[in-house]
Amino acid sequence: MSEAAAVSGAAAPDRRDLWPLWRAAYAQGDPLPKFTCAASRPTYRFDEGEALPEEYKSLLIKMLRHEGERAGNKSFLGFMATCLDLAEGLFPTAEARLLKAEYLAEELKHAIMFHRVAVGLDRDFALRDVPYAHYAFHLPRETWADDAFFHFLVDLNGAFHARDWRESSYVPLAKIAATVERDELGHSEMGYVFLREICAEPRGRQLAQALLAKWYPAALDMFGRSDSPNVPKFIRWGLKAVGNAEIRQAYKAYVDRKLEALGLDVPAESAGRRFL
Amino acid sequence: MPSEGVVQEIREAYATVGIRLDQPATYGTYYRLLCEACGRMVGNVGDRLLPGMAREIVDAQRPLYAAGLLGCPCGHQRDRAGSPGPPAGARS
Repeated sequence: MSEAAAVSGAAAPDRRDLWPLWRAAYAQGDPLPKFTCAASRPTYRFDEGEALPEEYKSLLIKMLRHEGERAGNKSFLGFMATCLDLAEGLFPTAEARLLKAEYLAEELKHAIMFHRVAVGLDRDFALRDVPYAHYAFHLPRETWADDAFFHFLVDLNGAFHARDWRESSYVPLAKIAATVERDELGHSEMGYVFLREICAEPRGRQLAQALLAKWYPAALDMFGRSDSPNVPKFIRWGLKAVGNAEIRQAYKAYVDRKLEALGLDVPAESAGRRFL
Repeated sequence: MPSEGVVQEIREAYATVGIRLDQPATYGTYYRLLCEACGRMVGNVGDRLLPGMAREIVDAQRPLYAAGLLGCPCGHQRDRAGSPGPPAGARS
């Protein structure tokens, strides 16, 4: 099989119904909210190879450390291995296992894309091992429902951030933002498809409702503290458009609507939260 | 940085429901959760949970193990969670 044929295989006719899951979501219109920057956005933009102001570069690397999906980040590859473990050990159906395989392939594609951004920014950073710091990436996953919540909620966090990067003042990031957003939204949809199947049965819905208490606060916490002192700096440099509280509220509105459609009770916003 | 104390907390919390931590997987950071009775992998967990979180999670999940909604198909966690057992935090 040629390289091109192998790559296009993901969209082969017999798999078109399964993957990519973003296709159906975007076919109905833009699934994500638009973010309006309250402050006037800077008119400058920085491209690869240009000298960057020290604070700008520091903030950009901080952002990419959190993002984590880099080929040179051993901890990211280790996290992908945990996803493989779950796909092999807990899969409910052959179709679900295949979807997870597509997910892993796409995340590895992101690892290459962000590797290119990292190399263009700081070669030492490109090979830096940065374990995910946020506890949401460390919560125990003991059932397919746990894994489904992880994808629905945590990958969706990635989609919301990537949406914000579309207007980034750092050109290499802005260039890949639409692809990353689309893919991460698809991964979230994959989790949602799994949750829909799980919640179709009473015992599954009981399990999902109980596990939601673990995942929901973690998902909201992922956006950071509402009063984070770094946010105004990110916005001033054009690396973000909106603050943590605003993007969290937009995310919450999206998530709550979909959870209610599953027949789940949405937890109180403050329940179990660590970073308000 | 991961705290050895947090990993120990995780180990102790899961011991109360008959689950043990394997060695760190791949490049560290993540641990497989294994059924204490039959050795089957029942999930995984990372070492950046916040202090006290592992115990909270396992305690909250105890009814799910007892109901057979979580845990190994061999039934070991269902049996352990259904019995009084040692309190969370006690060494197994």
